[in-house]
Amino acid sequence: MPTLVSVFDFPSNTASAVRKLKDRGFDDLKTYSPAPFTELELAEDPKPSKVRRFTLIGGLSGVTLGFLMQIWMSLEWPIKIAGKNFASIPPFWIVGFELTILLGGFFTFFGLLIVGGLYPKRLDKHYDLRFSAEEFGVVVTCDERDVAEVEALLRAESAKEVTLADS
Amino acid sequence: MAPPATAVADSLASPERPRDSRANIDIMAPTHGVQWPYFLALGAAVLGVLQALAVLLYQTYVGLGVAGYQQPVFWGVYIVTFVFWIGIGHAGTLISAILFLFRAKWRNAVNRGAEALTVFAVITAALFPILHLGRIWKLYFLIPYPNQRSLWVNFKSPLLWDVFAISTYASISIMFFYVGLIPDIAIARDRATGVKKAIYTVLALGWQGTGPQWKAHSRSVLHLSGLATPLVLSVHSIVSWDFAMSIVPGWHATIFAPYFVAGAVFGGFAMVINILIPVRRIFRLERYLTDYHFENMSRFILLTSTICGYAYAAEYFIAWYSGVEYEQTSFWLRAFGPYWVSTWCMITFNVIFPQLLWIKKLRTNLPFLFVLCLFINLGMWFERYVIIITSLSREYISGSWGLYVISPVELSVLAGSFCWFSMWFLLFLKVFPVIAITEVKELEIHARDHGGAH
Repeated sequence: MPTLVSVFDFPSNTASAVRKLKDRGFDDLKTYSPAPFTELELAEDPKPSKVRRFTLIGGLSGVTLGFLMQIWMSLEWPIKIAGKNFASIPPFWIVGFELTILLGGFFTFFGLLIVGGLYPKRLDKHYDLRFSAEEFGVVVTCDERDVAEVEALLRAESAKEVTLADS
Repeated sequence: MAPPATAVADSLASPERPRDSRANIDIMAPTHGVQWPYFLALGAAVLGVLQALAVLLYQTYVGLGVAGYQQPVFWGVYIVTFVFWIGIGHAGTLISAILFLFRAKWRNAVNRGAEALTVFAVITAALFPILHLGRIWKLYFLIPYPNQRSLWVNFKSPLLWDVFAISTYASISIMFFYVGLIPDIAIARDRATGVKKAIYTVLALGWQGTGPQWKAHSRSVLHLSGLATPLVLSVHSIVSWDFAMSIVPGWHATIFAPYFVAGAVFGGFAMVINILIPVRRIFRLERYLTDYHFENMSRFILLTSTICGYAYAAEYFIAWYSGVEYEQTSFWLRAFGPYWVSTWCMITFNVIFPQLLWIKKLRTNLPFLFVLCLFINLGMWFERYVIIITSLSREYISGSWGLYVISPVELSVLAGSFCWFSMWFLLFLKVFPVIAITEVKELEIHARDHGGAH
């Protein structure tokens, strides 16, 4: 399948090109950006990120684990302190809270790695040094017969360069 | 009419445009090359760490008696310095997380340096409770783990809360720091060669700035900010409860948590300024770290200094208003007892001097700010010294009063802690960009695209 690699100067043009490509049904595309831009993110995938699920599960696991750990350990080795119950809930909120944050943070981090596909790997064939400078890339894979249309669409959105990479 | 795609050559950027971005070149510059003043500073820091290590070996062998601990003061400079460094670590999270949630865009230029400062300050702080144990090999007693004695830690003790608070804070700070660094490490990877490239390649985790990567990254930063914001408020509150949960006069106060948090942010910002002013000057980063950034940080210092001033005044007022003789005596002795110098240094450096920041010209006068912040850091160390030492040395029964004198061992370890912190920060400067490049670019490109500036 032919792949067109286009380079843009601005996020607004890149986002507009992505929107139009998707409207025309060219969904097999990938963007590269030197910084995060909301407009580009919304054009490419407006759905909420799945990272939030990791954060929620991590936080809930943390608070549950925190309380269970403290209650079990306090009952396993019962010592009366300041006349309080062995398993005294109010002071347990401190460690419960800290573990909520700790596990919420760890799960968020692992969520980033999983959802973002982050692990040491070979870089994409079409990734360019310029995409970590100040330029934007849109890589579109389409049928042979659509190459001209895609190229025209990209150029209409001020792509400064369009290259046919594979065919 | 545009040429067909097949006809477009593989040419890259037009010749009049530089191949790399200016932000990449400028901000990565400190990581390249060898400058002898840098290695001189690093060497001095390493020597400082080594002398402290030698002294600590001596202390571990001989015992804590050489640390100036004597009846009735058994929390000395180590605990003072522990609270000091934990406080320093608060500015980083405030700038990274809280200002991020408030969408304060000016933070983009200063957050990386502040985050690094947080990580290294917390690493430094975490050493002190261990040194304070004396028998450092008993450290594992603090950790709840199944053992043959069926012995568990006391979850009702603020000291144990501290263990959880500090370790959570250290973990989240390191995570926050690393997550923010990933896109910048990828920039470094794309421009490095040899071993450096191999290391950056592993650390960059295959980052390419694709849509899904940026989306997951932005949400992770948002969620980590949401988690770090209550965390940063909790950590110094919990540290303050190490004192406030006891019934020592001068410690048993409900104002301690907000008072400590405000003090931490105050001292932290002062340290950020103390570090970023020389960094900006030495590495010529004036384009990115502007007077505007320093003015904003000065405003924070002015605000938190005023909160500290209020807390100091409230402590004295409550001591008087409570009618409790011990409390009143404790505060009288703070101001006019044997430690009066530290109390008046604290008030002068933390409350009176920062009031000069009402003057706009001084808020942007960097030499003045640098000197002021040195005084603030000194004042904040004295604040913890006043709280801990004066209260412990003059408790209820006058017959058990005593005088605490700092020992050379403690001074050596205190100096070593600054060297330890400096050593990590200097190493960081050589390996990673001190300013978040992608965040700076985000503002620059946005301004270019939509006009105007932030």
